[in-house]
Amino acid sequence: MKDYQLGEFEEIVILTVGILNNAAYSVAIKDEIESRLKRTVSMGALHTALNRMEDKGYLKSFSGEATEERAGRPRRYFEMTALGKKAIQYAKDTRDELWAAIPKTIWQSNLSGI
Amino acid sequence: MKKQHPFPPKYFLRFFRWFCHPRMLDYIEGDLIEVYDRNFKKLGKRKADWKFILDVLLLFRPGIIRPRKPIPNLTTYGMYKSYFKIGWRTLIRNKEYALINIAGLALSVTCCILIFVLVKHHLSFDDFHQNKDRIYRVVTEQHRESVSYVNSVPSPLGLVLRENHTYGEKVARMFHDSNSVITFERNGEMQMIKEPDGFAFTEPEFFEIFDFPLVQGSIVTALNEPNSAILTERLAKKYFAEQNPIGQVITYDNQVSFTITGILKDLPITTDIRPEIFVSYSSLKEYNPWLASDNAWGGISSGMYCYTLLRAGVSPEEVEEALKPYVKQNRPESKNVHHYKLQPLSDIHLNGRYGGVLEMSDIGILIAIGIFLLLTACVNFVNLATAQALKRSKEVGVRKVLGSFRAQLFWQFIFETAIIATISILIAIAAAFALVPYVNDFFQTQIPVNFLSDGILVLFIVGLDVLVTLLAGCYPAFILTDFKPVAALKGKLSMQQLGGFNTRRSLIVMQFVISQVLIIGVIVIMNQMRFAKEADLGFDKESIVMVKLGTDSVNSMHVLKNEFLRLPGVNKVSLCYAAPASSDSWGNSIRFGNDSEEVNFRTNMKLADADYISTFDLELLIGRNITPADTVREMLVNEALLQHLGITNYEDAIGQVIYANGGSMKGPIVGVVRDFHDNSFHAGISPALIASASSMYSNYAIKINGNSVKETLEEIQQLWEEQYTGKMFEYSFVDEDIAQFYESEDTLLKGIQFFSFIAIFIGCLGLYGLISFMISQKTKEVGIRKVMGGGVAHIIWLFGQEFVRLILIAFLIAAPIGWWFMNQWLQDFEFKIKLDVWTFVLAAGSTLVIAAFTVGYQVLRVAYVNPVLSLKSE
Repeated sequence: MKDYQLGEFEEIVILTVGILNNAAYSVAIKDEIESRLKRTVSMGALHTALNRMEDKGYLKSFSGEATEERAGRPRRYFEMTALGKKAIQYAKDTRDELWAAIPKTIWQSNLSGI
Repeated sequence: MKKQHPFPPKYFLRFFRWFCHPRMLDYIEGDLIEVYDRNFKKLGKRKADWKFILDVLLLFRPGIIRPRKPIPNLTTYGMYKSYFKIGWRTLIRNKEYALINIAGLALSVTCCILIFVLVKHHLSFDDFHQNKDRIYRVVTEQHRESVSYVNSVPSPLGLVLRENHTYGEKVARMFHDSNSVITFERNGEMQMIKEPDGFAFTEPEFFEIFDFPLVQGSIVTALNEPNSAILTERLAKKYFAEQNPIGQVITYDNQVSFTITGILKDLPITTDIRPEIFVSYSSLKEYNPWLASDNAWGGISSGMYCYTLLRAGVSPEEVEEALKPYVKQNRPESKNVHHYKLQPLSDIHLNGRYGGVLEMSDIGILIAIGIFLLLTACVNFVNLATAQALKRSKEVGVRKVLGSFRAQLFWQFIFETAIIATISILIAIAAAFALVPYVNDFFQTQIPVNFLSDGILVLFIVGLDVLVTLLAGCYPAFILTDFKPVAALKGKLSMQQLGGFNTRRSLIVMQFVISQVLIIGVIVIMNQMRFAKEADLGFDKESIVMVKLGTDSVNSMHVLKNEFLRLPGVNKVSLCYAAPASSDSWGNSIRFGNDSEEVNFRTNMKLADADYISTFDLELLIGRNITPADTVREMLVNEALLQHLGITNYEDAIGQVIYANGGSMKGPIVGVVRDFHDNSFHAGISPALIASASSMYSNYAIKINGNSVKETLEEIQQLWEEQYTGKMFEYSFVDEDIAQFYESEDTLLKGIQFFSFIAIFIGCLGLYGLISFMISQKTKEVGIRKVMGGGVAHIIWLFGQEFVRLILIAFLIAAPIGWWFMNQWLQDFEFKIKLDVWTFVLAAGSTLVIAAFTVGYQVLRVAYVNPVLSLKSE
């Protein structure tokens, strides 16, 4: 199951695509991430991640309408594929497993330390 | 609208467009603009600009940059595939046109390839020698009344050039005697063989000048000793088969024997050094003591060559200058002033003046013919393609509407032409391959048949392909792509718009000009040849056979002559030096009467017995025949001799004494004979005298009764062989010998006939294509005309007048060109036909007839077709 390769940033992007559901295009994704996670996202990093995930088959894209504010350039909307859903599910499961495997005492000692 | 949009930094946007992968360009650019727009409103221009620039720079990363291999390449390939497909379909759909075009092009390209091979072959003669640029042959200009050129020199010249001067790194003399009889022993039996390429007495330096390697023996020593010989592998095999040739003995003309000391590698085809047997020069004195002596400056024997390899930096002019004093020193008296010249090796093959196989100008003519043929075929192509252009106007219109650039369309049509050109060239290569043996036969060359392995030729063919494609394709492509899409799609194009009917007309005229010039050439050459062969030569040449004399005593010579006379088939026999017209002639300077100096013209010495006049039926104008004698007692002269001496009243000449051969032959003139042609018609009639001198006879001239030539010849041979045992019986007919004078003209004639046939054929193909197109255009018109009462003759004239007019225009151009060329050609002849009107009428007439045949069938068909059918055609 190690086929589901998903980097940290990629994971954030694909999750955001999921959040935005049908309105996921690059600027919207960028804004969403920036507002939720308080981090700046460069256009280059975002597009690279989107392309890479499309190549991997986690995302698919379709061309949207051209709008005035984009000087006639079309939007490119993204959508999760079944494979993409499996991939984030897998990522979450492995994290959860790891979480579960951490001895409770760690947390306690930490708490006590405060 | 645009005002509302703030503009992001221009250069960065352009930079982004340049590097971004085209697949993503639009989307990302849209993003950038959207974000910029937003920033602009929120933060102001400066900040928005900075953010934009930062974004662009951050986008410059591997996932986004376009791949290095540009994608357009892929598209172009697909386009060419499509061009090919469309081109091929067009070809298949118009089979008739395709066939005409391909046939015409293939034919002309075949000729071009053959001409190229031939020209290259002739230009490659003797270019394999390492020092070819410094090798020269010494030749002689003989200045008398007129200048004559000989490719040989007096035999001592080579010696003085070597001994007295340092110009030549090497100097070699060679005496080449062709047609020699070689005797050798094989398996204990004596064999006799005639070697047409003969035998050469050669100085050893010869092999240091030229690169002819030995396979056996050493070049340094092989010819040093007298009586040694080297021969080529081919001859060694022919003479001695499998035996070891080294040490064998061959005998030359039953006179001099040579021991073989070396074997030469076979001579390359591309050399003018023809002898295959080389023997030591020091043995020349056994064969011809005069020629071998160091003071044989008196005359020039043909075959006596001198080659030299000049030192680097020495100019031939220097050497020519240095050789001048020897003429004064050794020939102080002679009116025949020699000028020794150095002829470069590369000139030997292509200078007819010094015995070259052909002239440089012949090469030029060949190339011109090739270009002509290529042009006619291209003209055909252009004609047919523009005529057909209408059919493709819709396609062009659609393509233009869909966004084709003119250049793209242009290359599409060029590509289609390239398909046709390439097919033609492939056919032409196959044809040329098959035809090379015939070309070899015809031009007496030995071009190897596997000529396709030649790199330069392959390059030439590829170049030809490109050339033909561009020549034939450019103009039609230009016309086709010139259509205005609207007009083309509405079908509003007329023939006039298609590059002008006049262009096509002038192309047709050009083709007719070429074929008419060629036809005029053929007619004139044929007439001149017939004139030369059938004209009265001033003597009888029919059924006279010249039989070589075996060297023997005066007595047996007369005995055999009398025996010949006894044969029933023999009418007359004369002992003589040569026939009245012969390529063997002996020229001499004579002294006349009481003059103290020799005359300054060459006299042709016709030494013969008293029966010469009657055998050859020469006409005695005045005086009487010479009386039979064995030495010079009396002389007959021809009119030309007296004219040269300035004697108009022939009676005055009778009794005057002529001294010839330095005074050793002298006698009074006893009669004057009517002028006879002693040369080909190229040259005038030279002064000649007839006198008896048995020691100089070398032929029996035998007049045979025309009915039994074969039997009589056999009887003659039998008698001859009884008399001269162990010798070769050789004979030739006088009329055939004379025909040989015109060998090169015969070749020229055949060549021109062949090429004019091809040119006419290609022209006809074009004509045929054009008429069928014209008819398809005018079918309706013909129908309407017929309905309105036009007769068949009227319809025929409708099409015919066009062609008649074109041919007449072509004739007006061709006639002066043909006249000029043929007049020029005829200048080579001293005796020539007049260029008369009939030649030109015939040329024009035959073109008309040929054109009529070509277009006739189609025109008649359309003229007779029922108008109902032609009007119903849409």
